[in-house]
Amino acid sequence: MQPLLHIQNLSKTFGNERVLADVNLHLAQHKVLSLLGSSGSGKTTLLKIIAGLEQPSSGEIFLNETEISQQPPQNRNIVYLYQEALLFPHFNVYENIAFGLRLKKQSNQAIKEKVQQMLHYLDIEKHAEKMPNQLSGGQKQRVSFGRAMVVEPKLLLLDEPFGALDSNTRQKMQSLFIKLVEQLKISALFVTHDLKEAIIMGDSIGKIQKGKLIQYESKQAFFEDETSGVKNEVDFWKGIK
Amino acid sequence: MGLRFNNKMNNSKLFKGLFLAIVVLPVASGLVYAFLFSLGIIGVLNKGFHWDVWQTVLFDKPFWVSFGYSLYVALLSVAISLSVALTIALSWQKKLQKGLLSNVIYLPLCFPATVMAFFSFQLLAKSGLLSRIGYQLGFIKEINDFPVLIKDAYGMGIIFTSVLLITPFFIILFSNLYQSEKIASYVNLAKTLGASNRQILQKVMVPILLKRASITIYLFVIFVMGSYEVPLLLGRQNPQMISVAVLQKIQRFNLYDMPQGYAMSMLYVLLIMLILLIIYIKNSNLFKTQNS
Repeated sequence: MQPLLHIQNLSKTFGNERVLADVNLHLAQHKVLSLLGSSGSGKTTLLKIIAGLEQPSSGEIFLNETEISQQPPQNRNIVYLYQEALLFPHFNVYENIAFGLRLKKQSNQAIKEKVQQMLHYLDIEKHAEKMPNQLSGGQKQRVSFGRAMVVEPKLLLLDEPFGALDSNTRQKMQSLFIKLVEQLKISALFVTHDLKEAIIMGDSIGKIQKGKLIQYESKQAFFEDETSGVKNEVDFWKGIK
Repeated sequence: MGLRFNNKMNNSKLFKGLFLAIVVLPVASGLVYAFLFSLGIIGVLNKGFHWDVWQTVLFDKPFWVSFGYSLYVALLSVAISLSVALTIALSWQKKLQKGLLSNVIYLPLCFPATVMAFFSFQLLAKSGLLSRIGYQLGFIKEINDFPVLIKDAYGMGIIFTSVLLITPFFIILFSNLYQSEKIASYVNLAKTLGASNRQILQKVMVPILLKRASITIYLFVIFVMGSYEVPLLLGRQNPQMISVAVLQKIQRFNLYDMPQGYAMSMLYVLLIMLILLIIYIKNSNLFKTQNS
Protein backbone atom coordinates (compact mmCIF):
# COMPACT_ATOMS: atom_id res chain seq x y z
CA MET A 1 0.00 0.00 0.00
CA GLN A 2 1.36 3.44 -1.00
CA PRO A 3 1.94 5.83 1.91
CA LEU A 4 -0.08 9.03 2.13
CA LEU A 5 3.06 11.08 2.67
CA HIS A 6 6.46 10.16 1.33
CA ILE A 7 9.52 12.37 1.71
CA GLN A 8 12.74 11.60 -0.13
CA ASN A 9 16.18 13.05 0.62
CA LEU A 10 14.85 16.36 1.87
CA SER A 11 17.42 18.94 2.93
CA LYS A 12 17.20 22.52 4.04
CA THR A 13 19.93 25.07 4.64
CA PHE A 14 19.67 28.61 5.97
CA GLY A 15 22.84 30.38 4.83
CA ASN A 16 25.66 28.11 5.90
CA GLU A 17 23.59 26.25 8.46
CA ARG A 18 22.16 22.90 7.45
CA VAL A 19 18.90 22.47 9.34
CA LEU A 20 17.66 19.27 7.69
CA ALA A 21 19.90 16.66 6.09
CA ASP A 22 18.58 13.99 3.71
CA VAL A 23 15.35 13.41 5.56
CA ASN A 24 13.32 10.38 4.47
CA LEU A 25 9.88 9.81 5.91
CA HIS A 26 6.69 7.91 5.15
CA LEU A 27 3.27 8.06 6.72
CA ALA A 28 0.39 5.70 6.00
CA GLN A 29 -3.20 6.86 5.51
CA HIS A 30 -5.18 7.45 8.75
CA LYS A 31 -2.09 7.04 10.92
CA VAL A 32 -0.27 9.39 13.28
CA LEU A 33 3.49 9.66 13.29
CA SER A 34 4.97 11.23 16.43
CA LEU A 35 8.10 13.23 15.78
CA LEU A 36 10.35 13.67 18.78
CA GLY A 37 13.03 16.28 18.90
CA SER A 38 14.56 18.90 21.12
CA SER A 39 14.46 22.65 20.43
CA GLY A 40 16.38 23.60 17.31
CA SER A 41 16.47 20.05 15.98
CA GLY A 42 14.69 21.07 12.77
CA LYS A 43 11.26 19.55 13.43
CA THR A 44 9.33 22.81 12.96
CA THR A 45 11.23 23.52 9.75
CA LEU A 46 10.31 20.05 8.48
CA LEU A 47 6.60 20.66 9.20
CA LYS A 48 6.72 24.08 7.55
CA ILE A 49 8.30 22.60 4.44
CA ILE A 50 5.62 19.90 4.26
CA ALA A 51 2.94 22.58 4.68
CA GLY A 52 4.52 24.70 1.93
CA LEU A 53 5.41 27.57 4.25
CA GLU A 54 9.14 27.02 3.63
CA GLN A 55 10.87 25.81 0.49
CA PRO A 56 13.23 22.83 0.70
CA SER A 57 16.79 23.25 -0.55
CA SER A 58 16.57 19.81 -2.15
CA GLY A 59 14.49 16.66 -2.03
CA GLU A 60 10.97 15.62 -2.92
CA ILE A 61 7.64 15.46 -1.09
CA PHE A 62 4.90 13.17 -2.35
CA LEU A 63 1.33 13.37 -1.10
CA ASN A 64 -0.82 10.56 -2.48
CA GLU A 65 1.98 9.95 -5.00
CA THR A 66 1.83 13.53 -6.29
CA GLU A 67 4.98 15.62 -5.97
CA ILE A 68 3.90 18.76 -4.05
CA SER A 69 7.09 20.57 -3.11
CA GLN A 70 6.43 23.33 -5.65
CA GLN A 71 2.76 23.72 -4.83
CA PRO A 72 1.64 26.76 -2.79
CA PRO A 73 0.31 25.95 0.70
CA GLN A 74 -3.22 26.92 -0.34
CA ASN A 75 -3.37 24.01 -2.81
CA ARG A 76 -1.90 21.27 -0.64
CA ASN A 77 -4.84 20.64 1.71
CA ILE A 78 -2.38 20.21 4.55
CA VAL A 79 -3.19 22.17 7.70
CA TYR A 80 -0.41 23.31 10.01
CA LEU A 81 -1.30 23.91 13.66
CA TYR A 82 0.91 25.93 15.96
CA GLN A 83 1.53 25.47 19.66
CA GLU A 84 -0.74 28.46 20.21
CA ALA A 85 -4.37 28.10 19.22
CA LEU A 86 -4.19 31.31 17.14
CA LEU A 87 -7.94 31.82 17.07
CA PHE A 88 -8.98 34.80 15.00
CA PRO A 89 -9.79 37.44 17.64
CA HIS A 90 -12.45 39.12 15.49
CA PHE A 91 -14.52 35.92 15.09
CA ASN A 92 -16.51 33.95 17.65
CA VAL A 93 -16.02 30.18 18.09
CA TYR A 94 -18.56 29.31 15.37
CA GLU A 95 -16.98 31.64 12.81
CA ASN A 96 -13.47 30.49 13.70
CA ILE A 97 -14.42 26.90 12.91
CA ALA A 98 -16.31 28.00 9.79
CA PHE A 99 -13.32 30.01 8.52
CA GLY A 100 -11.88 27.42 6.11
CA LEU A 101 -15.33 26.47 4.81
CA ARG A 102 -16.20 30.11 4.09
CA LEU A 103 -12.94 30.46 2.15
CA LYS A 104 -14.15 27.63 -0.06
CA LYS A 105 -17.46 29.46 -0.50
CA GLN A 106 -19.55 26.55 0.69
CA SER A 107 -23.28 27.17 1.22
CA ASN A 108 -24.45 28.50 4.58
CA GLN A 109 -26.46 25.34 5.16
CA ALA A 110 -23.46 23.08 4.51
CA ILE A 111 -21.28 25.25 6.76
CA LYS A 112 -23.88 25.18 9.53
CA GLU A 113 -24.15 21.39 9.42
CA LYS A 114 -20.40 20.80 9.40
CA VAL A 115 -19.61 23.36 12.09
CA GLN A 116 -22.33 22.10 14.40
CA GLN A 117 -21.13 18.54 13.94
CA MET A 118 -17.60 19.65 14.78
CA LEU A 119 -18.80 21.59 17.84
CA HIS A 120 -20.54 18.39 18.95
CA TYR A 121 -17.41 16.25 18.40
CA LEU A 122 -15.36 18.72 20.42
CA ASP A 123 -18.02 19.12 23.12
CA ILE A 124 -18.01 22.90 22.86
CA GLU A 125 -21.54 23.49 21.52
CA LYS A 126 -22.42 25.81 24.40
CA HIS A 127 -19.42 28.02 23.63
CA ALA A 128 -20.30 28.59 19.96
CA GLU A 129 -21.15 32.27 20.39
CA LYS A 130 -18.22 33.11 22.66
CA MET A 131 -15.27 35.21 21.54
CA PRO A 132 -11.75 33.73 21.87
CA ASN A 133 -10.89 35.89 24.89
CA GLN A 134 -13.76 34.23 26.79
CA LEU A 135 -12.27 30.73 26.44
CA SER A 136 -9.78 28.75 28.51
CA GLY A 137 -6.54 27.43 27.00
CA GLY A 138 -7.98 23.94 26.48
CA GLN A 139 -11.16 25.28 24.89
CA LYS A 140 -9.12 27.45 22.54
CA GLN A 141 -7.09 24.44 21.46
CA ARG A 142 -10.31 22.48 20.82
CA VAL A 143 -11.59 25.26 18.58
CA SER A 144 -8.24 25.31 16.81
CA PHE A 145 -8.55 21.56 16.13
CA GLY A 146 -12.11 22.00 14.94
CA ARG A 147 -11.13 24.78 12.56
CA ALA A 148 -8.42 22.55 11.07
CA MET A 149 -10.41 19.31 10.88
CA VAL A 150 -13.63 20.76 9.51
CA VAL A 151 -11.93 21.38 6.15
CA GLU A 152 -11.07 17.66 5.99
CA PRO A 153 -7.35 18.06 5.31
CA LYS A 154 -5.42 15.22 3.76
CA LEU A 155 -2.79 15.69 6.42
CA LEU A 156 -2.68 17.50 9.75
CA LEU A 157 0.63 18.88 11.02
CA LEU A 158 0.70 19.56 14.75
CA ASP A 159 3.63 21.49 16.15
CA GLU A 160 3.65 20.81 19.90
CA PRO A 161 -0.07 21.63 20.11
CA PHE A 162 -0.35 20.91 23.84
CA GLY A 163 2.94 22.50 24.85
CA ALA A 164 1.30 25.54 26.46
CA LEU A 165 -1.34 23.60 28.43
CA ASP A 166 -1.24 22.49 32.06
CA SER A 167 -0.76 18.74 32.63
CA ASN A 168 -4.41 18.02 33.42
CA THR A 169 -5.76 19.82 30.35
CA ARG A 170 -2.96 18.29 28.32
CA GLN A 171 -4.10 14.76 29.24
CA LYS A 172 -7.70 15.58 28.35
CA MET A 173 -6.61 17.01 25.00
CA GLN A 174 -4.49 13.94 24.26
CA SER A 175 -7.51 11.67 24.87
CA LEU A 176 -9.73 13.92 22.76
CA PHE A 177 -7.22 13.93 19.91
CA ILE A 178 -6.92 10.12 19.93
CA LYS A 179 -10.73 9.86 19.83
CA LEU A 180 -10.97 12.34 16.95
CA VAL A 181 -8.26 10.55 14.97
CA GLU A 182 -10.33 7.38 15.12
CA GLN A 183 -13.67 9.08 14.43
CA LEU A 184 -12.55 11.32 11.59
CA LYS A 185 -9.85 9.06 10.10
CA ILE A 186 -7.15 11.69 10.42
CA SER A 187 -3.60 11.35 9.16
CA ALA A 188 -1.18 13.46 11.15
CA LEU A 189 2.40 14.31 11.99
CA PHE A 190 2.55 15.13 15.69
CA VAL A 191 5.65 16.99 16.82
CA THR A 192 6.52 16.95 20.49
CA HIS A 193 9.56 16.99 22.73
CA ASP A 194 7.72 14.95 25.38
CA LEU A 195 8.66 11.27 25.26
CA LYS A 196 5.46 10.04 26.93
CA GLU A 197 3.27 12.16 24.68
CA ALA A 198 5.04 10.86 21.58
CA ILE A 199 4.33 7.27 22.65
CA ILE A 200 0.69 7.99 23.54
CA MET A 201 -0.17 9.95 20.41
CA GLY A 202 1.69 8.17 17.64
CA ASP A 203 0.97 4.93 15.80
CA SER A 204 4.66 5.11 14.99
CA ILE A 205 7.56 7.25 16.16
CA GLY A 206 10.35 9.20 14.54
CA LYS A 207 13.18 11.09 16.11
CA ILE A 208 14.82 14.14 14.66
CA GLN A 209 18.23 15.17 15.92
CA LYS A 210 20.47 17.86 14.44
CA GLY A 211 18.50 17.73 11.21
CA LYS A 212 18.67 13.98 10.77
CA LEU A 213 15.53 11.88 11.04
CA ILE A 214 15.28 8.32 12.28
CA GLN A 215 11.90 6.73 11.66
CA TYR A 216 11.41 3.55 13.68
CA GLU A 217 9.77 0.53 12.09
CA SER A 218 7.67 -0.06 15.19
CA LYS A 219 7.18 1.34 18.68
CA GLN A 220 9.06 -1.73 19.97
CA ALA A 221 12.08 -0.77 17.87
CA PHE A 222 11.91 2.71 19.40
CA PHE A 223 11.73 1.31 22.94
CA GLU A 224 14.74 -0.90 22.28
CA ASP A 225 16.90 1.88 20.85
CA GLU A 226 19.40 2.89 23.52
CA THR A 227 19.41 6.50 22.31
CA SER A 228 15.62 6.92 22.35
CA GLY A 229 15.62 7.84 26.05
CA VAL A 230 12.94 5.27 26.89
CA LYS A 231 15.32 3.04 28.86
CA ASN A 232 16.55 6.00 30.94
CA GLU A 233 12.97 6.97 31.68
CA VAL A 234 12.04 3.43 32.73
CA ASP A 235 15.14 3.17 34.91
CA PHE A 236 14.29 6.51 36.54
CA TRP A 237 10.78 5.43 37.51
CA LYS A 238 12.02 2.01 38.65
CA GLY A 239 14.55 3.79 40.87
CA ILE A 240 11.81 5.59 42.78
CA LYS A 241 10.51 3.48 45.61
CA MET B 1 1.11 39.65 56.56
CA GLY B 2 -1.48 41.95 58.13
CA LEU B 3 1.04 44.82 57.99
CA ARG B 4 1.73 44.16 54.32
CA PHE B 5 -2.01 44.12 53.59
CA ASN B 6 -2.44 47.44 55.41
CA ASN B 7 0.48 48.97 53.48
CA LYS B 8 -1.05 47.79 50.23
CA MET B 9 -4.40 49.33 51.16
CA ASN B 10 -2.72 52.61 52.15
CA ASN B 11 -0.77 52.71 48.86
CA SER B 12 -3.96 52.05 46.92
CA LYS B 13 -5.75 54.90 48.74
CA LEU B 14 -2.77 57.20 48.16
CA PHE B 15 -2.76 56.50 44.41
CA LYS B 16 -6.51 57.02 44.20
CA GLY B 17 -6.14 60.30 46.07
CA LEU B 18 -3.31 61.44 43.79
CA PHE B 19 -5.32 60.45 40.72
CA LEU B 20 -8.30 62.45 41.97
CA ALA B 21 -6.11 65.46 42.81
CA ILE B 22 -4.01 65.52 39.64
CA VAL B 23 -6.40 64.25 36.96
CA VAL B 24 -10.03 64.38 38.05
CA LEU B 25 -10.13 67.55 40.13
CA PRO B 26 -8.74 70.04 37.55
CA VAL B 27 -10.91 68.64 34.75
CA ALA B 28 -14.02 68.51 36.94
CA SER B 29 -13.34 72.03 38.23
CA GLY B 30 -13.03 73.31 34.68
CA LEU B 31 -16.29 71.67 33.68
CA VAL B 32 -18.14 72.97 36.73
CA TYR B 33 -16.76 76.47 36.11
CA ALA B 34 -17.81 76.31 32.45
CA PHE B 35 -21.27 75.04 33.40
CA LEU B 36 -21.84 77.75 36.01
CA PHE B 37 -20.53 80.42 33.61
CA SER B 38 -22.84 79.20 30.85
CA LEU B 39 -25.80 79.46 33.24
CA GLY B 40 -24.91 83.03 34.16
CA ILE B 41 -24.19 82.17 37.80
CA ILE B 42 -20.56 83.32 37.71
CA GLY B 43 -18.67 85.75 35.46
CA VAL B 44 -18.32 89.55 35.69
CA LEU B 45 -20.67 90.33 32.83
CA ASN B 46 -23.28 87.74 33.77
CA LYS B 47 -26.47 88.98 35.37
CA GLY B 48 -27.83 85.87 37.06
CA PHE B 49 -29.20 82.42 36.31
CA HIS B 50 -30.79 81.80 32.90
CA TRP B 51 -31.03 79.05 30.24
CA ASP B 52 -30.86 81.40 27.23
CA VAL B 53 -27.32 80.43 26.25
CA TRP B 54 -28.05 76.72 26.38
CA GLN B 55 -31.21 77.24 24.33
CA THR B 56 -29.19 79.10 21.71
CA VAL B 57 -26.47 76.45 21.60
CA LEU B 58 -28.87 73.51 21.54
CA PHE B 59 -31.45 74.82 19.11
CA ASP B 60 -29.47 77.06 16.74
CA LYS B 61 -27.42 75.69 13.88
CA PRO B 62 -23.82 76.91 14.52
CA PHE B 63 -22.88 74.40 17.21
CA TRP B 64 -24.26 71.44 15.31
CA VAL B 65 -22.65 72.60 12.05
CA SER B 66 -19.29 72.86 13.84
CA PHE B 67 -19.76 69.48 15.51
CA GLY B 68 -20.76 67.79 12.25
CA TYR B 69 -17.91 69.46 10.36
CA SER B 70 -15.39 68.38 13.04
CA LEU B 71 -16.72 64.83 12.91
CA TYR B 72 -16.51 64.79 9.09
CA VAL B 73 -12.91 66.09 9.10
CA ALA B 74 -11.89 63.64 11.84
CA LEU B 75 -13.52 60.57 10.27
CA LEU B 76 -12.16 61.31 6.79
CA SER B 77 -8.66 62.11 8.13
CA VAL B 78 -8.51 58.94 10.21
CA ALA B 79 -9.94 56.80 7.38
CA ILE B 80 -7.32 58.09 4.91
CA SER B 81 -4.56 57.72 7.52
CA LEU B 82 -5.60 54.16 8.31
CA SER B 83 -5.59 53.19 4.62
CA VAL B 84 -2.15 54.71 4.04
CA ALA B 85 -0.71 53.35 7.30
CA LEU B 86 -2.02 49.83 6.71
CA THR B 87 -0.65 49.81 3.17
CA ILE B 88 2.78 50.98 4.32
CA ALA B 89 2.92 48.83 7.48
CA LEU B 90 1.97 45.66 5.62
CA SER B 91 4.01 46.30 2.47
CA TRP B 92 7.20 47.38 4.21
CA GLN B 93 6.93 45.18 7.28
CA LYS B 94 10.54 44.00 7.26
CA LYS B 95 11.96 47.44 6.42
CA LEU B 96 9.98 48.95 9.30
CA GLN B 97 11.48 46.49 11.75
CA LYS B 98 15.11 47.21 10.95
CA GLY B 99 17.18 49.50 8.77
CA LEU B 100 16.88 53.17 7.88
CA LEU B 101 13.08 53.27 7.58
CA SER B 102 12.62 51.95 11.12
CA ASN B 103 14.26 55.17 12.38
CA VAL B 104 13.06 57.61 9.73
CA ILE B 105 9.41 56.78 10.46
CA TYR B 106 9.73 58.47 13.85
CA LEU B 107 10.87 61.80 12.33
CA PRO B 108 7.42 63.17 11.35
CA LEU B 109 6.39 62.80 14.99
CA CYS B 110 8.84 65.64 15.82
CA PHE B 111 6.84 68.15 13.78
CA PRO B 112 4.43 70.28 15.84
CA ALA B 113 0.97 70.68 14.36
CA THR B 114 1.58 74.38 13.67
CA VAL B 115 4.74 73.63 11.66
CA MET B 116 2.93 70.94 9.69
CA ALA B 117 0.07 73.36 9.01
CA PHE B 118 2.52 75.98 7.65
CA PHE B 119 4.14 73.29 5.52
CA SER B 120 0.72 72.37 4.11
CA PHE B 121 -0.01 76.05 3.49
CA GLN B 122 3.26 76.46 1.57
CA LEU B 123 2.48 73.35 -0.45
CA LEU B 124 -1.24 73.63 -1.17
CA ALA B 125 -2.01 77.38 -1.29
CA LYS B 126 -2.87 78.94 -4.63
CA SER B 127 0.54 80.59 -4.61
CA GLY B 128 2.18 77.50 -3.11
CA LEU B 129 4.70 74.98 -4.32
CA LEU B 130 2.31 72.62 -6.09
CA SER B 131 0.63 75.49 -7.88
CA ARG B 132 4.02 76.80 -9.05
CA ILE B 133 5.15 73.38 -10.23
CA GLY B 134 1.81 72.95 -12.02
CA TYR B 135 2.29 76.32 -13.71
CA GLN B 136 5.87 75.54 -14.77
CA LEU B 137 4.79 72.18 -16.20
CA GLY B 138 1.90 73.80 -18.03
CA PHE B 139 -0.93 72.08 -16.13
CA ILE B 140 -2.42 75.48 -15.14
CA LYS B 141 -2.31 78.76 -17.02
CA GLU B 142 -2.88 81.14 -14.13
CA ILE B 143 -3.03 81.07 -10.35
CA ASN B 144 -6.82 80.85 -10.25
CA ASP B 145 -6.75 77.59 -12.21
CA PHE B 146 -5.27 75.86 -9.15
CA PRO B 147 -8.02 74.36 -6.96
CA VAL B 148 -8.79 75.88 -3.56
CA LEU B 149 -7.20 73.52 -1.05
CA ILE B 150 -6.55 75.94 1.81
CA LYS B 151 -9.42 77.59 3.72
CA ASP B 152 -11.81 75.65 1.49
CA ALA B 153 -15.35 74.51 2.31
CA TYR B 154 -14.43 70.81 2.42
CA GLY B 155 -11.46 71.25 4.78
CA MET B 156 -9.01 69.65 2.34
CA GLY B 157 -6.03 71.47 3.84
CA ILE B 158 -7.04 70.47 7.38
CA ILE B 159 -7.57 66.85 6.34
CA PHE B 160 -4.26 66.74 4.42
CA THR B 161 -2.36 68.11 7.43
CA SER B 162 -4.13 65.83 9.91
CA VAL B 163 -3.27 62.85 7.73
CA LEU B 164 0.39 63.94 7.69
CA LEU B 165 0.35 64.28 11.47
CA ILE B 166 -1.34 61.03 12.45
CA THR B 167 -0.28 58.57 9.73
CA PRO B 168 3.20 57.96 11.24
CA PHE B 169 1.54 57.08 14.56
CA PHE B 170 -0.63 54.49 12.85
CA ILE B 171 2.29 53.07 10.85
CA ILE B 172 4.30 52.56 14.04
CA LEU B 173 1.25 51.15 15.83
CA PHE B 174 0.43 48.66 13.07
CA SER B 175 4.06 47.68 12.63
CA ASN B 176 4.33 46.90 16.35
CA LEU B 177 0.97 45.12 16.39
CA TYR B 178 2.11 42.99 13.44
CA GLN B 179 4.83 41.61 15.69
CA SER B 180 3.00 41.47 19.00
CA GLU B 181 -0.16 39.92 17.55
CA LYS B 182 1.86 37.33 15.59
CA ILE B 183 0.19 38.27 12.33
CA ALA B 184 2.78 36.26 10.38
CA SER B 185 1.64 33.09 12.18
CA TYR B 186 -2.02 33.88 11.45
CA VAL B 187 -1.10 34.40 7.81
CA ASN B 188 0.65 31.03 7.62
CA LEU B 189 -2.28 29.34 9.31
CA ALA B 190 -4.76 30.97 6.92
CA LYS B 191 -2.64 29.90 3.94
CA THR B 192 -2.75 26.26 5.01
CA LEU B 193 -6.51 26.56 5.49
CA GLY B 194 -6.68 27.59 1.82
CA ALA B 195 -6.86 31.41 1.95
CA SER B 196 -5.68 33.36 -1.10
CA ASN B 197 -3.49 36.43 -0.59
CA ARG B 198 -6.53 38.67 -1.02
CA GLN B 199 -8.56 36.67 1.49
CA ILE B 200 -5.65 36.80 3.94
CA LEU B 201 -5.56 40.59 3.64
CA GLN B 202 -9.33 41.08 3.89
CA LYS B 203 -10.25 38.39 6.41
CA VAL B 204 -7.14 38.08 8.56
CA MET B 205 -4.55 40.87 8.53
CA VAL B 206 -6.68 44.02 8.30
CA PRO B 207 -9.48 42.89 10.68
CA ILE B 208 -7.04 41.72 13.36
CA LEU B 209 -4.97 44.90 13.19
CA LEU B 210 -8.05 47.15 13.19
CA LYS B 211 -9.63 45.26 16.07
CA ARG B 212 -6.49 45.50 18.18
CA ALA B 213 -6.05 49.18 17.30
CA SER B 214 -9.74 50.09 17.64
CA ILE B 215 -9.52 51.99 20.92
CA THR B 216 -6.55 54.00 19.59
CA ILE B 217 -8.49 54.73 16.41
CA TYR B 218 -11.44 56.09 18.41
CA LEU B 219 -9.08 58.25 20.44
CA PHE B 220 -7.49 59.65 17.29
CA VAL B 221 -10.93 60.54 15.91
CA ILE B 222 -11.55 62.47 19.13
CA PHE B 223 -8.07 64.00 18.92
CA VAL B 224 -8.60 65.28 15.36
CA MET B 225 -12.13 66.48 16.18
CA GLY B 226 -10.74 68.62 18.97
CA SER B 227 -7.63 69.87 17.14
CA TYR B 228 -7.12 73.64 17.18
CA GLU B 229 -3.97 74.96 15.48
CA VAL B 230 -4.46 73.24 12.13
CA PRO B 231 -8.09 74.31 11.54
CA LEU B 232 -7.25 77.79 12.87
CA LEU B 233 -4.52 78.24 10.25
CA LEU B 234 -6.02 76.31 7.34
CA GLY B 235 -9.77 76.43 7.94
CA ARG B 236 -12.49 78.87 6.88
CA GLN B 237 -14.61 81.11 9.09
CA ASN B 238 -17.62 79.04 8.16
CA PRO B 239 -17.88 76.17 8.77
CA GLN B 240 -15.47 76.13 11.70
CA MET B 241 -14.17 73.16 13.60
CA ILE B 242 -15.44 72.95 17.15
CA SER B 243 -12.29 74.05 19.02
CA VAL B 244 -11.88 77.12 16.83
CA ALA B 245 -15.56 77.99 17.22
CA VAL B 246 -15.42 77.61 21.00
CA LEU B 247 -12.19 79.60 21.39
CA GLN B 248 -13.57 82.35 19.18
CA LYS B 249 -16.56 82.69 21.49
CA ILE B 250 -14.48 82.60 24.68
CA GLN B 251 -11.42 84.66 23.79
CA ARG B 252 -12.27 86.97 20.93
CA PHE B 253 -14.33 89.98 19.92
CA ASN B 254 -17.48 89.92 22.02
CA LEU B 255 -17.21 89.25 25.75
CA TYR B 256 -20.96 88.58 25.93
CA ASP B 257 -20.33 85.46 23.78
CA MET B 258 -18.23 83.82 26.52
CA PRO B 259 -21.10 81.92 28.19
CA GLN B 260 -22.03 80.52 24.77
CA GLY B 261 -18.42 79.34 24.29
CA TYR B 262 -18.51 77.59 27.66
CA ALA B 263 -21.87 76.00 26.89
CA MET B 264 -20.52 74.77 23.53
CA SER B 265 -17.44 73.25 25.15
CA MET B 266 -19.61 71.56 27.80
CA LEU B 267 -21.98 70.16 25.21
CA TYR B 268 -19.07 68.94 23.09
CA VAL B 269 -17.56 67.10 26.07
CA LEU B 270 -20.94 65.58 26.93
CA LEU B 271 -21.48 64.39 23.36
CA ILE B 272 -18.02 62.81 23.16
CA MET B 273 -18.59 61.10 26.51
CA LEU B 274 -21.97 59.87 25.28
CA ILE B 275 -20.40 58.42 22.13
CA LEU B 276 -17.72 56.69 24.22
CA LEU B 277 -20.39 55.36 26.57
CA ILE B 278 -22.37 53.90 23.66
CA ILE B 279 -19.19 52.27 22.30
CA TYR B 280 -18.45 50.91 25.78
CA ILE B 281 -21.95 49.50 26.25
CA LYS B 282 -21.84 47.86 22.80
CA ASN B 283 -18.38 46.39 23.33
CA SER B 284 -16.95 46.66 26.82
CA ASN B 285 -14.04 44.37 25.90
CA LEU B 286 -12.68 47.14 23.71
CA PHE B 287 -11.61 49.16 26.75
CA LYS B 288 -9.99 46.26 28.55
CA THR B 289 -6.29 45.61 28.39
CA GLN B 290 -5.00 42.21 27.21
CA ASN B 291 -4.62 40.92 30.77
CA SER B 292 -7.70 42.34 32.44
